[in-house]
Amino acid sequence: MLKNTLRRWWDLRLQIAMLGLALSGAWFVRQTQGQALFEVYGWVTRPFQVNASQQEQLLNARTKELQDRLAELQTQNQKLQSLLGYVSTQKNKGIAAPIIGRSADHWWEQVSLGRGSKDGIRKGFIVMGPGGVVGRIITVTPNTSLVVLITDSTSRVGVVISRTRQMGFLRGKGEKSKNRAVMEFFENVPNVKVGDVVTTSNFSQLYPIGLPIGRVESLDLKKSPAPEALIEFSAPINSLEWVVVYPHQPPSEIKSTQKQPSSTNLPQNQPFKEEGGEANR
Amino acid sequence: MTYLSRMSPRSRHFIKGTITLVSVILCVLILPTRLPGMELLGIGPNWPLIWVVAWSIRRKRTLLAAIVGGLAMGFLQDGMTAPVPTHAASLVLVAVLTILLQKMRSIPPEIIEKDPIPIALIVFGMAVIAETLMAFQFSWIGERTLVEIWTYHQRVALCSAILSSLWAPVIYFPLNRAWDMTSSSES
Repeated sequence: MLKNTLRRWWDLRLQIAMLGLALSGAWFVRQTQGQALFEVYGWVTRPFQVNASQQEQLLNARTKELQDRLAELQTQNQKLQSLLGYVSTQKNKGIAAPIIGRSADHWWEQVSLGRGSKDGIRKGFIVMGPGGVVGRIITVTPNTSLVVLITDSTSRVGVVISRTRQMGFLRGKGEKSKNRAVMEFFENVPNVKVGDVVTTSNFSQLYPIGLPIGRVESLDLKKSPAPEALIEFSAPINSLEWVVVYPHQPPSEIKSTQKQPSSTNLPQNQPFKEEGGEANR
Repeated sequence: MTYLSRMSPRSRHFIKGTITLVSVILCVLILPTRLPGMELLGIGPNWPLIWVVAWSIRRKRTLLAAIVGGLAMGFLQDGMTAPVPTHAASLVLVAVLTILLQKMRSIPPEIIEKDPIPIALIVFGMAVIAETLMAFQFSWIGERTLVEIWTYHQRVALCSAILSSLWAPVIYFPLNRAWDMTSSSES
């Protein structure tokens, strides 16, 4: 009788120990933000990733010509800026990275990239697709990195209408299969029309100034509390295969080492807080 | 089969554990993929949920084991996305509801083990419940607007439920068979 009870107790203890082990293992994965899992995922999907040479072949001559012209204009612009004493924080060294996975549940808009800290990617770097901003890096493992897209509901980006310099912020709608986000204006009667180009503003701390985002698709100027516009992204966020990651350091971190002209004219009470979706992490 | 039954209970136990672990890792690693034919409006099947239902609906499963299974799977999914709000809450709820369903014998276990329809129906209901709990958590946190959460919830709950229930037999039957084979002659 006693032996039986002991035996049963022993069996149960073994089971409890196993369950405890499973639970602590899962907790460890959660605390490390699934880094090991993403590494394994990157390794498993490696044979299926598009390689760089194939991608290169897809680029046609016209794009290359435009890129060359742009590079020329950029260097000219930089020269003029240096003559004016303007200090740019953006460096044009991009890291090309393939997209190897999408969000692991339905509520977040994330993608994982097949390049990580070994290739020089750090947290907070900017991710650009063909056409414009796509998102920013929130987690990095040695060979993969996790990007929160600007379509995510928690994403807030300071933006400006490039034609009239009307300020506002871009709020992700968090909807899959729709390449849209909402821009809320700070002014009650903004000077804006359909088709206007939207870029990141100098209110933006998380993104560099002047990156293209998209175009105004429709307007709702009677919306309360602030007028809104629906923005269509210029980058095809839902069908991306390959992105370029650019280094970026928020101005607040640079301020200690060098003076940043754009951050000196920030208003004292910003009407929104820019978020890149990592607040909860 | 004969080879398996000739093995010692200890090594059979080890194989069972390995199969469980491998199935969990597979379920988690398939999450970021969007294979053709596996998505509806950009939404894929909820693999961890299918696994938790398959885990909890086993005949000899205890309540404690079901809860721990749900918790562990939830933590793993948290690790893949973001820890707040947690997926563990909805998966534990699913595990508890499934084991209640199984203990009350609302559906006879013999039918579940042979017919793909009951397991698909259970997964359908559980997926709706899980996504609803997630939507409640998002409403509670309050960083998204309520209108957005609940309009999105309708779509996500329906798509996830349809796809998960269709793909549920793919996880459930091989896993159940493997667990049966490794524990059939144990008693």
